[in-house]
Amino acid sequence: MASADSETRPQEAIPQAVKIIIAGGFGAGKTTLVASVSEITPLSTEEVMTEASYGVDDIGGVEHKTTTTVALDFGRITINDDVVLYLFGTPGQDRFWFMWDELAEGALGAVVLADTRRLDTCFHAVDFFERRGVPFVVAVNRFEGSTVYREEEVRQALDVSADVPIILADARERGSCKEVLVELVTHVIRGRDPVMSG
Amino acid sequence: MRTDGVHGHEAVAGALPEETVRGPAPEAPGHDEEFGQERFLRPFAVTAGDPDTPAVLGPEPSGIDMLSLVVAARVPGRHEWLRPERETILGHALRARTVVELAAEVHLPVGQVRGIVAAMIADGSLQRCGPSRPLARQDILHAVLVGLRSL
Repeated sequence: MASADSETRPQEAIPQAVKIIIAGGFGAGKTTLVASVSEITPLSTEEVMTEASYGVDDIGGVEHKTTTTVALDFGRITINDDVVLYLFGTPGQDRFWFMWDELAEGALGAVVLADTRRLDTCFHAVDFFERRGVPFVVAVNRFEGSTVYREEEVRQALDVSADVPIILADARERGSCKEVLVELVTHVIRGRDPVMSG
Repeated sequence: MRTDGVHGHEAVAGALPEETVRGPAPEAPGHDEEFGQERFLRPFAVTAGDPDTPAVLGPEPSGIDMLSLVVAARVPGRHEWLRPERETILGHALRARTVVELAAEVHLPVGQVRGIVAAMIADGSLQRCGPSRPLARQDILHAVLVGLRSL
């Protein structure tokens, strides 16, 4: 039970914490994007899991169960006195799926960062957000030396519906990242009325 | 209840030196590399082998998630029995903090901190707090849009 010297502190104004997910394949620029717009140096925590959480089928014999950790990077943007926005980069490897569920829970929306040199690495993210009904935009991160594709080409390759915005971006540029996030939130607001898409 | 800490039990009882359990929070860079695979012992050790504060993956029954806000309900350091992690968490929670921020600050996995936070709420050390001015989803979205545009 609470001891006698407990004291309840007077509370200052407490903002609502909301989040946007930054997803994409390993090395697509998620951490770079978070760092570009975050008001703090991105913080890193981690999650511990057992192999049983991996979603692989080789879990015969729990005596061999081992644990590992996954880094989870996040940044913060203070919107105003009432709202603080957190940006979470998803773990890069596909096998850390189970974390996505919690990350996606209650998220305002998601940015799928696509690397056109390895477009297939973001298929999972696109599929995940489509299935969960989490609104998302695709940001095509421009890497030095990568072929420049047109929006239609990327859309076709990713097979995303016409209402999903596809934006060319540079994760290193704060202005560009800001545009991506603005586009996402605009997209979310636009889509708040249930829209059935074919 | 949960059995996923069985290895931790054995390890804590068997091989883990007490200094590892009670040592200061590992803030030195390179800690992870240094300890490598053995690090899986620590998260369970900080709960003092208490299976009721497991590392929690996914939403807890208590409904605490990564962005749940908590604030210290009493002054840290006045309870000698507090484990260092808890004291550190209390210190960081003097103003309202999210669970994930606390995890980053005390250098522990977020699932583990969530378990500790749940226990600390239960024993009255922390209290959950909601936003001062809860907003509707649509109002939040508009506020975020305005805020992002003015970055």
